[in-house]
Amino acid sequence: MVNKLIVSNILYRPIRTAVSALAVAIEVAMVMLFVGLAHGLLNESAHRVEGVGADILVQPPGSSFLFALSQAPMPLKIGDRLKEIPHVLAVAPVFFNFISTSLTVIYGIDMSSFDDVTGGFTYYPGSRPLRDPYDLLVDNLYAKANHVKIGDTLTLLNHQFHVSGIVEHGKGARLFIPLQTAQDLMQEPDKASLFFIKCTEPGYADAVTDAIRQLLHGYQVRPVNEYLSLMTSNNLPGLNAFITVVIIIAVGIGFLVIFLSMYTTVTERTREIGILKSLGASKRYIIAVILREAGLLSAVGIIVGYGIAAVTRKVLIAYFPTLFIELTIQWAVYAAILALAGSMVGAFYPAMRAARLDPVDALAYE
Amino acid sequence: MEPIIATHDLRKVYRVGKVAVEALRGVNCIVHEGEFVAVVGPSGCGKSTLLHVLGGLTAPTSGQVLVDGNDFSKMTDGDRTRFRRHKIGFVFQRFNLLPTLTARNNIAIAQHIQGNGFNPHRFQAVVEMLGIQGKLDHRPYALSGGEQQRVAIARAVICDPKLLLADEPTGNLDSENSQTVLNMIRGLNKNFGQTVLMITHNPEAAAVADRIIHMRDGCIISD
Repeated sequence: MVNKLIVSNILYRPIRTAVSALAVAIEVAMVMLFVGLAHGLLNESAHRVEGVGADILVQPPGSSFLFALSQAPMPLKIGDRLKEIPHVLAVAPVFFNFISTSLTVIYGIDMSSFDDVTGGFTYYPGSRPLRDPYDLLVDNLYAKANHVKIGDTLTLLNHQFHVSGIVEHGKGARLFIPLQTAQDLMQEPDKASLFFIKCTEPGYADAVTDAIRQLLHGYQVRPVNEYLSLMTSNNLPGLNAFITVVIIIAVGIGFLVIFLSMYTTVTERTREIGILKSLGASKRYIIAVILREAGLLSAVGIIVGYGIAAVTRKVLIAYFPTLFIELTIQWAVYAAILALAGSMVGAFYPAMRAARLDPVDALAYE
Repeated sequence: MEPIIATHDLRKVYRVGKVAVEALRGVNCIVHEGEFVAVVGPSGCGKSTLLHVLGGLTAPTSGQVLVDGNDFSKMTDGDRTRFRRHKIGFVFQRFNLLPTLTARNNIAIAQHIQGNGFNPHRFQAVVEMLGIQGKLDHRPYALSGGEQQRVAIARAVICDPKLLLADEPTGNLDSENSQTVLNMIRGLNKNFGQTVLMITHNPEAAAVADRIIHMRDGCIISD
């Protein structure tokens, strides 16, 4: 019977219901999309590094696992010493150039050694490898997002680059230029930002890592698995704080709208609450009616929020192919719990107010 | 026989801002089970306040109020609510049906609040007695005043209360519907022994009752 009362109340005021449910839906969608975007971009970045196919990463002392923050160069000749370590199959030096305006890392690569480590790019028809100093390879997602075609000229780092090819994504960066060009642009000749190392067998990774650490004291030497384990929101400065702020804002929106909605409802239905009291409804009964109504509004909002998140993700990815948004069951559950909890807290004061109404005053309410 | 209502020196003072309004000034009355009592008097004489106190909607300021042996002056708001749920039915001048529910659910919600579950036999008997079988799936806005009041009476008696309190039940009805509603309340009293205390300012309505109590200025002036 209470369910009938709640459902009929909700249907009786469709605009209020729609606005309240929409607020909860936006709350849920915001949480899922922002968290999904943060984790998606992080994981995709990690997968791209994993996709290079190297077993070990060597960076200069004091450098960050975030490549964009890690442009400290090391001598290129270190690569020759690394090649001499037993069980090392290939060593690929990479020089990072970072475009701060678009937060894009460009890999300066030596085609031959990079192919040795990665097994080579998968080229789209009409492409050719890097040959001339201002040749540029872009991955297919960058090309799609920026409408880049083979033969186009792109201005990067204040220089004109000729797009010599489009390659399948997933090999470290989205943009690749010749190693020497990358060094020259930064005026760091014969330097590298990172060495990708491929072992003869992945099982040798730990042994080779130890050998490199003995050879290069103070350098950042990480097996790829260790690198991947670092690519979490906990290790990214400010990311968790950002996610927390987004969640607080989203839950705040849901809380305020539900609070306002239920407060208005209680005021509107003062007389009805008086009627229930005259029938002998206890304070607990009245509170339960209000909270369950808020709960139902939230449930509708949560389901709509899932839909909004899924549709928004599709639209965003269609327009921005380089975006990766991971909508996970785990965060769907978290978002639902947050929305429900926010709604319950928001509805609690109006519910208490309703329960405390004087029945005589409530019955006289016009 | 124990009276169902017994008040002794019942007083009720309202505060309107800083002004104390004495609505009941020492009311003494006794109503026995099965009686149909009408309380009449001019507006502001305290009859509605008396009904609210007897229904446990508000606590008396002083004096004693015994309803079915329970002293409201010593009961908490929660205790009075519980008592009201099981023992008292209200009929209001403005019907006071829940606008979002159908007539059927307006009646059934009283059983639900009482907590004894839906009793289909009792439900059927009440709706037949009040002649609202064909209106059960209508919402209040789709019912006439007379029909709404019959639904309200059905809701008030569905849980078989010891005491039916009616606050100007014909105040919003035309004469034909007023008569119908009065006949039904009279029928409940005659046929089922339902104790009724009805407030009215209409002498014709009061004439239906077995006994008429006159009030003025918060006091009973004749009984």
